[in-house]
Amino acid sequence: MAKSFGDYVRKRREARRATDDAFSLRQLAQRIGVEPSFLSKVERDEVPPPSEAKVVALARELGEDPDVLLALAGKVSSDLQQAIRKRPELFASLIRQLKDQPDYAVLRIVREVRDGKW
Amino acid sequence: MIELKQDRLVFRFPDVHKDATVSVEFQRTLRIPDDGHHYPLPPGLGRFPIRHVDDFAGRVPERWIEHGGVMLPMYQSEALWVNFSGRYPCAVKVAAGKIDAVTGKALGAGLARRPQNYLVTPEQPWLDGYCVEKGVIRQFVAMPLGAGYSAEEQITGAAEFGGLQIVVHPMTAEAYERLRRLRDERVMYRAAAPAMALTAAGMTMGMGLAPGGRMRQEIFTDPHHLEDWDQAQTNRCFVHLANSLVWRHVTGHEPPTVPPTAKEYSKAGLPWFEYYGAGESAVEGSGILAKLKSVVQMGKDKGDVPLPENESVSAGPVVELRKGLAKDEVREGRF
Repeated sequence: MAKSFGDYVRKRREARRATDDAFSLRQLAQRIGVEPSFLSKVERDEVPPPSEAKVVALARELGEDPDVLLALAGKVSSDLQQAIRKRPELFASLIRQLKDQPDYAVLRIVREVRDGKW
Repeated sequence: MIELKQDRLVFRFPDVHKDATVSVEFQRTLRIPDDGHHYPLPPGLGRFPIRHVDDFAGRVPERWIEHGGVMLPMYQSEALWVNFSGRYPCAVKVAAGKIDAVTGKALGAGLARRPQNYLVTPEQPWLDGYCVEKGVIRQFVAMPLGAGYSAEEQITGAAEFGGLQIVVHPMTAEAYERLRRLRDERVMYRAAAPAMALTAAGMTMGMGLAPGGRMRQEIFTDPHHLEDWDQAQTNRCFVHLANSLVWRHVTGHEPPTVPPTAKEYSKAGLPWFEYYGAGESAVEGSGILAKLKSVVQMGKDKGDVPLPENESVSAGPVVELRKGLAKDEVREGRF
């Protein structure tokens, strides 16, 4: 079980590298636009996680959910931040109300794709 | 329930099992030449944007609102492939214009074995087209609904539905737990892994999927028992295909750019892909789908040239995915 952002990223990258050299530290760093030495430090948790944009790019490359990776990085995506800023009291209250609810209860309020008559 | 999350359809069955989730996304890709040759798998060029049709009532056809679901933009003669991800086994039916892409029959209720009318995830990582022969598909290529090219129009004689339809049944919780106990703990990796104007006269904005070029892709037979699928649990989604040229008018957002041609892609030396199953057998092709005319063949009959840039290409280099790997060891994506 990965303990930190860096550890999680390293484990995922290495799993991909087992079958694909495109997931070497150097090549992945190049694709997300950072220096290999910086990505290496990120993976060793020697520096804080990178910016939101880089975390999202990493998630896309590794096939991970960007929200999950952002959460591991201690960040909240800017679109969520905007939504909260727009109605802070409402969303703060909503999150506090739901934080201990089981998944199925939370999923009830997620917008579903509506099915119609085919 | 189905959630639209970051241009992915997330099918969840929380009443069946907490892990019972499969994600479906639609990848942009290049159109392989429709020239009778067999091509390897083309790359994924990113996800198509997806929107709820309900958000654009009044700007999309009323029938789309009636069908519900979502929509995505495609240019005429653009191709796509469907990418599945998730560990929990699911039986997935994929239809285009309500024609089953595996059997060529009308999309009906329930799962069938002879012939198999569904795909099994996670064994089947993706689907690129209509299953015309064992190990061969014809690529999904968007053509205007009503022009006569789509599989739906060729088979039913009517341009009634268009779009894509996805129906998912999860594995029963009991079968899933049994399977989990049977399997070794191995790395199970999920990868994230493709011109016309809306006139006052009311050009159809809907697209249908027609059979394009031939590609090597196996549709794997179901390795589980039919009773392992919970057919009482169903999530289904109608995916409408909107002509990219009207996407901006409808949504206010630009559609993705036109993908590169197969010639441009090959000239750049970029990779194609071959996928090797871990001993899974493949279903036979559909006799109904095998008889369909490809877009180019249909165009010849109509005295039309429906596919620009259709020259044969030499595909390569080819990346071999999962070759020699054991079942469940690693599942690789295309990128």
